[in-house]
Amino acid sequence: MTSSSTQSRKVLSKIAQNRLQKELAEWQLNPPPGLKHKITDNLQRWVIDVSGAPGTLYANETYQLQVDFPEHYPMEAPQVIFVPPAPLHPHIYSNGHICLDILYDSWSPAMTVNSICISILSMLSSSTSKQRPPDNDRYVKNCRNGRSPKETRWWFHDDKA
Amino acid sequence: MDSDYEIVDAYDGDSAEDYFSGGDTDMDEGDSIGGFEEDEDDGDNAGYEYGYASDEGSEKTYTVLRESDIRQRQEESISHVSSVLSISRVAASVLLCHYKWNVSQLHDEWFADEERVRRSVGLLSKSVILFPNDSEMTCGICFDSYPRDQIHSAACGHPYCTTCWKGYITTAINDGPGCLLLRCPDPACCAAVGQDMILKLASDEDREKYSRYFVRSYIVDKKKTKWCPAPDCENAVEFELGSNVYDVTCLCSHPFCWNCTEEAHRPVDCSTVAKWILKNSAESENMNWILANSKPCPKCKRPIEKNQGCMHMSCTPPCKFEFCWLCLGAWSDHGERTGGFYACNRYEAGKQEGLYDEAEKRREMAKNSLERYTHYYERWASNQTSRQKSIADLHQMQTVHLEKLSDKLKEPESQLKFIIEAWQQIIECRRVLKWTYAYGYYLPEHETAKKQLFEYSQGEAEAALERLHQCAEKELLVFLDDGVFDINVTPDFGTFRPKLAQLTRVTCSYFENLVRALENGLSEVDSQAASSTSVKNGGAKGKGGKGKGSSRTGRAVARNIDDSDRWNCDRCTYANPDSSSLCQMCHHQR
Ligand SMILES: [Zn+2]
Ligand SMILES: [Zn+2]
Ligand SMILES: [Zn+2]
Ligand SMILES: [Zn+2]
Ligand SMILES: [Zn+2]
Ligand SMILES: [Zn+2]
Ligand SMILES: [Zn+2]
Repeated sequence: MTSSSTQSRKVLSKIAQNRLQKELAEWQLNPPPGLKHKITDNLQRWVIDVSGAPGTLYANETYQLQVDFPEHYPMEAPQVIFVPPAPLHPHIYSNGHICLDILYDSWSPAMTVNSICISILSMLSSSTSKQRPPDNDRYVKNCRNGRSPKETRWWFHDDKA
Repeated sequence: MDSDYEIVDAYDGDSAEDYFSGGDTDMDEGDSIGGFEEDEDDGDNAGYEYGYASDEGSEKTYTVLRESDIRQRQEESISHVSSVLSISRVAASVLLCHYKWNVSQLHDEWFADEERVRRSVGLLSKSVILFPNDSEMTCGICFDSYPRDQIHSAACGHPYCTTCWKGYITTAINDGPGCLLLRCPDPACCAAVGQDMILKLASDEDREKYSRYFVRSYIVDKKKTKWCPAPDCENAVEFELGSNVYDVTCLCSHPFCWNCTEEAHRPVDCSTVAKWILKNSAESENMNWILANSKPCPKCKRPIEKNQGCMHMSCTPPCKFEFCWLCLGAWSDHGERTGGFYACNRYEAGKQEGLYDEAEKRREMAKNSLERYTHYYERWASNQTSRQKSIADLHQMQTVHLEKLSDKLKEPESQLKFIIEAWQQIIECRRVLKWTYAYGYYLPEHETAKKQLFEYSQGEAEAALERLHQCAEKELLVFLDDGVFDINVTPDFGTFRPKLAQLTRVTCSYFENLVRALENGLSEVDSQAASSTSVKNGGAKGKGGKGKGSSRTGRAVARNIDDSDRWNCDRCTYANPDSSSLCQMCHHQR
């Protein structure tokens, strides 16, 4: 996979456009709680406000998720990162990369932006400590020249993430 | 799992290790440097066959499996499982992929707890979604509606349209062999996607890839089967466990060691090879200069490029100095046997001792270990290069020259087989000779008698090979030249033919002796030192004889003693019948 986060992104395929329009329509019809899609005319990049659920470590905090879709979405997973400052969480790096299997190896085309966001929200809600992953500094340093998290070989922490 | 092979320990305990660590174990106690124990009762008929002769009936200890053989075995396993478990063939192949073709483990687990096995591989007994009676359904990926006949599902019933299935399947196939264990796209569903569905919906190209993965899945985890390591080769080799001769030759003609999957390295054992390869990679920076294909002519200092296989070099006119590529010494000291000992293989440590003052001597000693390695490495590498060149030459011969030559001489190609045989012999001998240099490197300096015997046998073999190689490479050229051919050449060819054929035979014999001597751990030395009468009944046993494999009756030894009606040629060591006064191999006078 050579898709890089910013430059030279291929335009969405017909199938991807069709599917994203459907997802967007569904989102607007039934907005998921705690999530707010910022309306732009860019179908290929969604920016979503994520509000920490009440009663969790992230209550009253809001973060931004940036979702970039590849040409062959949904066969290929979208790239999902937090726009820094990213929430302090043991599976979220300070550059916004998220260690969550469904974003990489376990992606399935039957998943949607909605289902991703809900997974991320529940990952935040179940957190018991606000801290960075132990290898944060090393990892972030390695990503400095704009590497996409999709090019990382993730080793998923085996606790409930 | 990333280790695709394991080293089967061919030696008794750690004796080989002790030996190589250069410790105090001496040769008699160490099991053998040659690793392969000669099975005493396989007698003289189980002679070592050189590479290309291996299909001549001698019992093979391995079977090469072509793709079609593997497919057939897969078919058999599928049929078997499908009938024993009363399930479809598609379900059977899902199970077999999960169980890595281990039929008995699959049976055991299935009969112990069928439900658990079904759940873990995704073979549902009934669908989780019941198709509604609507005439249209919504695809779970693109969310479009389709008529029922354009919607497909795995056993679970989750509905996806043809286009989305195709996209899903092609993505999985292009992600790698994981596609063999494909599941329903629904993230919460574990239903397996059967091969029938995949093959129906995949493109031709993807179907091809998928079926390659399917074949490749057959062996990966099997103890007795390995893939041929040659690039682009799709064959596998199934090995008869218990045999301790590991050299196998794939149908693609790549010879390799089944045990360590390095290139075939008989008569040297796997651990020596592994150590040598490790050593080479550690030294590779120092060694780069050696691989350079150019050296200055030792006489006129102009750079000479080696582009032929044999080590006999001639500088360009007007110099025309003939020298040995390896040691840069004059060829006249080497090729003909005037100087007695063919010295190019012998590393002379601390030569010119006494000529140095103390400081210089110490510097020399530090340099010595690298120099010693360099000596062996250079010869190892040169033989490797030479072998590659010879393989190319043989190919050229078979595809181009032979036919032309047969036209010119008006002889059928079958009459020219001796040329091919000569090249095959050269290729095999270069391989053996190459590995004897790794062997020599690890042979301790203080084992003087063994070292001498080793260098003698190696030198003899090497000299014979150089004669053969030179004849096949250079003397043959005359006959291949398109321009200068007329009927007058035929008589020359008449003398060339027996010469080359005989050099081939002689070289073969020298190398057989060399291989035998090394595989016996050079035990000839022990027994010649021991009293000759004790040899027959186990006198050649090592002092430390610890159980199986440690006793060894070297064939060469037995022949010296037992065959009283034979005499050994002192040029090539061949055992000739008493009746002949000329050596049958090299025509040396008794
Ligand atoms: Zn669809
Ligand atoms: Zn399903
Ligand atoms: Zn092969
Ligand atoms: Zn080996
Ligand atoms: Zn010269
Ligand atoms: Zn030489
Ligand atoms: Zn002889």
